[in-house]
Amino acid sequence: MFAARCVGVSLAVFILLYVPLSLAVSRGWNLIRRWFRPRSARSSADLLFILRVLPLALSSLVTLGFTLPSFLLLEPRSTNEAIGSAPLALGFCCLILIGVGLARAWMAQLRASRALVKWLDGSMLMESQVTESGEAVPIFRTGNDAPTLTVAGVCAPKVLVSDAAVAMLNPAELRTALGHEIAHALRYDNLKKLVFRFSVFPAMAGLEHAWSEETEMAADDAAVSSFPDALDLAAALIKVSRLGAIQSGELTMALLHSSTALRARVQRLVAWKKERKPQTHRSWLYVLPAAAAVVVVVATYGSVLNQMHAVTEWLVR
Amino acid sequence: MKQIFSLLRRSPSTQLGPLEQELLSALWMRGSATVREMLDAGGINLAYTTVMTTLDRLYKKQLLNRSADGRAFRYSPRYTQEELEKAAVGETVRQLLGSGEAAALPLSYLVEAVSEHDAGLLDDLQRLLDEKRRERRSELRSRENR
Repeated sequence: MFAARCVGVSLAVFILLYVPLSLAVSRGWNLIRRWFRPRSARSSADLLFILRVLPLALSSLVTLGFTLPSFLLLEPRSTNEAIGSAPLALGFCCLILIGVGLARAWMAQLRASRALVKWLDGSMLMESQVTESGEAVPIFRTGNDAPTLTVAGVCAPKVLVSDAAVAMLNPAELRTALGHEIAHALRYDNLKKLVFRFSVFPAMAGLEHAWSEETEMAADDAAVSSFPDALDLAAALIKVSRLGAIQSGELTMALLHSSTALRARVQRLVAWKKERKPQTHRSWLYVLPAAAAVVVVVATYGSVLNQMHAVTEWLVR
Repeated sequence: MKQIFSLLRRSPSTQLGPLEQELLSALWMRGSATVREMLDAGGINLAYTTVMTTLDRLYKKQLLNRSADGRAFRYSPRYTQEELEKAAVGETVRQLLGSGEAAALPLSYLVEAVSEHDAGLLDDLQRLLDEKRRERRSELRSRENR
């Protein structure tokens, strides 16, 4: 009974945090973005990703870092209390939520793997692009039944280029297009999509759409370092879309994610200016508050556990 | 009809106001029209500029096509009522499932519909790109001449 109460209470606290946080994020992400005013597409994509996973991360942190320890340390094991209807119902809802998330992520991963196996059948390894950070991203040349240009794979992303893309794009266009795909691979955008799949909440479509657009622009920025590069990438986008090749599959980042964003991306590329300096990482802006928060938590951990236990006691009764 | 508009209202990208709905319905019935023709046909008691602005908004929302007709624009619906209904249903289902484009996998009807009308858009973008390339070439030439 102790273990059942422990699990029930922990899951109940998780969902009590997850739902309001998700609701707040789904309603307020645009306000927060406007308030932060990210300077680049990459910062904007990062901010949106953080906001999207914040409810899951924060709820998990509170549950595993506070609720569970407080219950294990402060709840007398000899007490023969019942679980209580509220934690039982909430815990059941939480289990459903986690189950749906796992099923969605698993299905997505399964379909992506199947598609990748199909696309790689008969493909040829063109090269492995070793990036500045030393990571190698393999580039495969595939047949024409695969997407024109795409990144597939979650933990070990691969760039796939179809025969049609190689035939259609000139070397400069192909280079920038591959640069765009490699940027996606290095930022593990497919993995992020998988996390979105796991973190279930119905009203997040707007946030995910915005993240997707910013991610595409961030990859464009990463692939382009001069005005001619920008024009080459714009030309590649137009050529790929002329193929009518909006055929990206599960958890893949196709070069042309969606034709609705095409105009904005091409217009942005042809207006490319050199002023886009390399991003100065102001990590201290985030590290300092985070370090302060850790210190506060460590200093007050005991009393927080007591308070958390009081809350869970109230929940059980 | 009301069902389509109520579905579209839920889609942030294609939210339609009552005036937009009224004009889109009128265009579905007529096939195509200029602002003047719509007003002359009766049934729409609005100022010329209001109709013009609303049609322009529908065009920007990619729900209408337009072509020059003398000094005015002739508007026609980009999608049939049936196509829009399918798109709206797809969009709503996708939103209910919480899977935006970011998490999209199987392609939705909306994307296909968008890609169908993109030939014109691609021509526009190609022209823009060619223009930029020409500008750049002439800029380089003038620099060399200096």
